[in-house]
Amino acid sequence: MSTNSAINVDKLNVSFGDSHVVKDLSFAVEPGESYGIVGESGSGKSTVLRVLAGLNRDWSGEVDILGKRQPKVRDKAFYRAVQMVFQDPYGSLHPKKTVDDTLAEPLAIHGIRDAEAKISRAMQDVGLPTSFRFRYPHQLSGGQRQRVAIARALVLEPTILLLDEPTSALDVSIQAEVLNLLQALRHERKLTYILVSHDLAVVGHMCERLLVMQFGRGVEEMTAATLAARAPQTAYAQQLLTASEGFRRAG
Amino acid sequence: MNATADQALLTLDDLRVDFHTPTGIVNAVRGLSFSLGRERLGIVGESGSGKSMTGRAILDLIPHPGVVSAKRMEFRGKDLTTMDKASRRKLRGRHISMVMQDPKFSLNPVQTVGDQIAEAYRVHHKASAREAKERSLSMLEAVQIREPGRVYDLYPHEVSGGMGQRVMIAMMLIAEPEILIADEPTSALDVTVQLQVLKILDDLVTSRGMGLIFISHDLHLVKSFCDRVIVMYGGKAMETLPASELDRAQHPYTRGLLGCLPDLDHPREKLATLNRDPAWLA
Repeated sequence: MSTNSAINVDKLNVSFGDSHVVKDLSFAVEPGESYGIVGESGSGKSTVLRVLAGLNRDWSGEVDILGKRQPKVRDKAFYRAVQMVFQDPYGSLHPKKTVDDTLAEPLAIHGIRDAEAKISRAMQDVGLPTSFRFRYPHQLSGGQRQRVAIARALVLEPTILLLDEPTSALDVSIQAEVLNLLQALRHERKLTYILVSHDLAVVGHMCERLLVMQFGRGVEEMTAATLAARAPQTAYAQQLLTASEGFRRAG
Repeated sequence: MNATADQALLTLDDLRVDFHTPTGIVNAVRGLSFSLGRERLGIVGESGSGKSMTGRAILDLIPHPGVVSAKRMEFRGKDLTTMDKASRRKLRGRHISMVMQDPKFSLNPVQTVGDQIAEAYRVHHKASAREAKERSLSMLEAVQIREPGRVYDLYPHEVSGGMGQRVMIAMMLIAEPEILIADEPTSALDVTVQLQVLKILDDLVTSRGMGLIFISHDLHLVKSFCDRVIVMYGGKAMETLPASELDRAQHPYTRGLLGCLPDLDHPREKLATLNRDPAWLA
């Protein structure tokens, strides 16, 4: 394992009571890389992301992020460097807080000055008109809400973004806009992404490498090129790929 | 349309669904016309396109303050626009039925799945409890549930999503309807389970010669599953075309939708985005 990986996970195990949901998982993500985790529901992919984000404290194994061994409880500095965007923009924004409140809170927590300018800039970066600044979530569309969620993550200028199915609650035309935004931001700011998704086409589009998970284990790690060539090594990855290509009528 | 060749099961002409809200009238469906034969008809569109409202209007399930109107709405020659509520209700489930998106929210949580299927049968057919149970068990077998006897006594929270969806299909097909409306029947399922459920749906619909209206947001799925596709946007049909020709669609909206999907075979730095033309709704 290279020591200068942005994220290095070694023998990660997570259990909830009797169910062992992540089993001996190891992977490494290079700085500036976009790494995908795919799998079906219950494969443990979101749990891995929650461990990385410090949202789940019941795990064992070793997690190194930006060269530092991570304790179960993370410090403030960690959250400046690592931020997460959640799946459902209808659930992840506080319904009684305006866009301005949502973006100001992380700045206040971290004691960052010049909030005014930072909020305007974050909104600009994600393509939200400044006139939306004092709107509530219910006055925004799904795509606009997800832009707010991305702006909230970016306002602290992190280097790593953890993306948990960021577009699966959105229509395909809105998905394209959000994915384009994420790509552009990554190139501009040299961000490192981990993208969890069940959609292989989205992961193939966004990531250089990906890990296929099943029943809490890493089944296969492959490059996007291998995915595009439909050449995974394992039967399960192949099955997932075939299933994602649509219905086939026998005979 | 190819549906009219062998007598149409359902004919809609200028279907409209309007919601009269305090802030004005919202037109959910604006003048949709099609006819359905013994085929698999796909209705695709994004959220708010009116695709689900179309399915609900056919079943007379539009909630207040929604109002349905149509120049013509016929089920096997029977005029639905003038039919009273009670007769519409008799039609519902027996002749036209609907599979919803998520079994978690559509099954009764405090009744065993088997009893729910049996109840669906007894509502529409005169049968003893015992006969209904036997029919339900064979229906569970038809949707490829391995141990129907065991599954019959399970509650909805004890079955997986894929199994729950098969239970719903069993429940909807047990009355042997002529038309099945499936509203995003597999969107809550994992891809591999999705294909199994679709296969079951496909086999049953084909073998029983039913008409299927398959409502979905997933263009790839509709393309591979249906015979014919209606593409909806803003409550209107943008175009109707054979599913196999979806890739060669002419309408800019359909082409735009297809263009913004990431595609493993055609990697692009930037995905195309959709420019909505107000003229489409004119």
